[in-house]
Amino acid sequence: MSKNQELYHLDKLIGFVGDDPAAIQNMVRIFLQTTPELLEAINQSFKQQYAENMAKAAHSLKPTLDVFGIDSLHEVIRKIEQKARAEALDNELHELINKLNTVLEDVFKSLKTNYL
Amino acid sequence: MDAFRIFIVEDDLLYGEMLRHHLALNPDNEVYLYRNGEECLKNLYREPNMVSLDYSLPDMSGLDIMRRIKKDFPEIPVIIVSGQEDISTAVTLLREGAYDYFVKDDDVKDRLWNVIKKIRENLQLRSEISYLKEEIGRKYEFRNVIKGNSPTIKQIFSLIEKSIKTNISVSITGETGTGKELVAKAIHYNSTRAKKAFVAINVSAIPKDLIESEMFGHEKGSFTGAVTRKIGKFEQAQGGTIFLDEIAEMDLSMQTKLLRVLQERELTRVGGNDLIKIDVRLIVATNLNLSDEVKKGKFREDLYYRLLGLPIELPPLRYRGNDIILLAKHFVDEFCHENKMKKLSITESAQQKMMQYPFPGNVRELRAIIELAAVLTDTDKIDESHISFNAVDAAENLLMEENTLAEYTRKIISYYLQKHNNNVLLVAKKLDIGKSTIYRMIKEKQIIL
Repeated sequence: MSKNQELYHLDKLIGFVGDDPAAIQNMVRIFLQTTPELLEAINQSFKQQYAENMAKAAHSLKPTLDVFGIDSLHEVIRKIEQKARAEALDNELHELINKLNTVLEDVFKSLKTNYL
Repeated sequence: MDAFRIFIVEDDLLYGEMLRHHLALNPDNEVYLYRNGEECLKNLYREPNMVSLDYSLPDMSGLDIMRRIKKDFPEIPVIIVSGQEDISTAVTLLREGAYDYFVKDDDVKDRLWNVIKKIRENLQLRSEISYLKEEIGRKYEFRNVIKGNSPTIKQIFSLIEKSIKTNISVSITGETGTGKELVAKAIHYNSTRAKKAFVAINVSAIPKDLIESEMFGHEKGSFTGAVTRKIGKFEQAQGGTIFLDEIAEMDLSMQTKLLRVLQERELTRVGGNDLIKIDVRLIVATNLNLSDEVKKGKFREDLYYRLLGLPIELPPLRYRGNDIILLAKHFVDEFCHENKMKKLSITESAQQKMMQYPFPGNVRELRAIIELAAVLTDTDKIDESHISFNAVDAAENLLMEENTLAEYTRKIISYYLQKHNNNVLLVAKKLDIGKSTIYRMIKEKQIIL
């Protein structure tokens, strides 16, 4: 549980939908459906050096990560968006994307175990 | 209240679902979620009470969608929710008519609740206003306003009906208290202009120097004291009706200005240059005979013909026979109802007493007499002792002044002259005195016209 709390916390989500297990489960399901798509879009855009697409995907991912309380990515996703907008598709960006992938993999696993 | 329909237009499925779930926590909200602009526009026929719009959607920009919503449904409040703060975009959107602009952050849900609360309050006020407008319409349903069965009043009904069907100007004449303003309101609230304003101006009550600015408005600084721009009564009545009471009191220079405005259908505020188009229906009223005023050179002939339109001459109450009793009963019932009193009847002798009285103050006076009688009686009847005529008392008061006969003569002749529009020949005939007597008194300034 303490590991989960470092990874993510659902206070904000509960603030929105109320302390309703069914609703939370539904939101987790949507999260697990939409977030990998956006992550994939970011990975692909980096490969193809397609800054505009990356900026869009990062922009969309931002509020989702906030709502799921993934605090370790709060700055990371913002930097990714900034760099993509500035078309600075460099090593630093690559590092950031790696971190995004690693953390989200863990989040997906943990959410699946705990809520589905 | 009906369900409050909210459209959420959001391509971020998670965020959209979250908002939907959140807003649906209030069972009064009926929430629809759309993933793109096209879907939202297709569903506008559901007439949402509010649209929450994500600024960056896949198919079109928030601004474009908002413009299209506003084009067909200008009254639907649109709230823009954006992923990032961008002041210039926010300013543009607010200028184009967005109700509010939020950034997707922690405060979104509280801000949405507040906005929804405000919009709901606003909706409630609007529905109250439209209900009250209908109420006013019912109140001025002219057969509720103008009561009577006499042939003279039935003729008036038919004239009012004719005037309701068109936009023709109406000129109402009649002694004081015959209900000129009521007729004007009845025409307005039963016409197609009923949803717009009815604006009344009593020409004789406004100082000569101020009437132009009162009627047509003024620009800031156009004269000493004009500290702000003022919208005149004609502009306030845009699309509705303007009622000019005691039009005969308007001075000649103002008559010229009014004539020009009526001919051109546009006005300029005092001290301004812009021509403002006006669309108002005109109803005028006077207790003087306007054609006499024209003959005397006090009223412009061209304006007279322009204002005349459909003339409605309200008969004095004393010529309306049994309407006196019918109205008296109506006023008693109304008064008892308003004051939560039990019903009162009017005795035969009280009725006879009223039928013999000339009612110089007409319906207004009758109403006052009846209301006083309803208060005075201690039983469930109004009898003759409760009916007191102020005008009679006034005559008694006059005698109690103990003036000289010459002074009384002067007062009587002055009263008659005033009543008969200073028509000396008519007054001489009525009082059975020589016209030269009256002329002499005028010349010696014993009588001032």
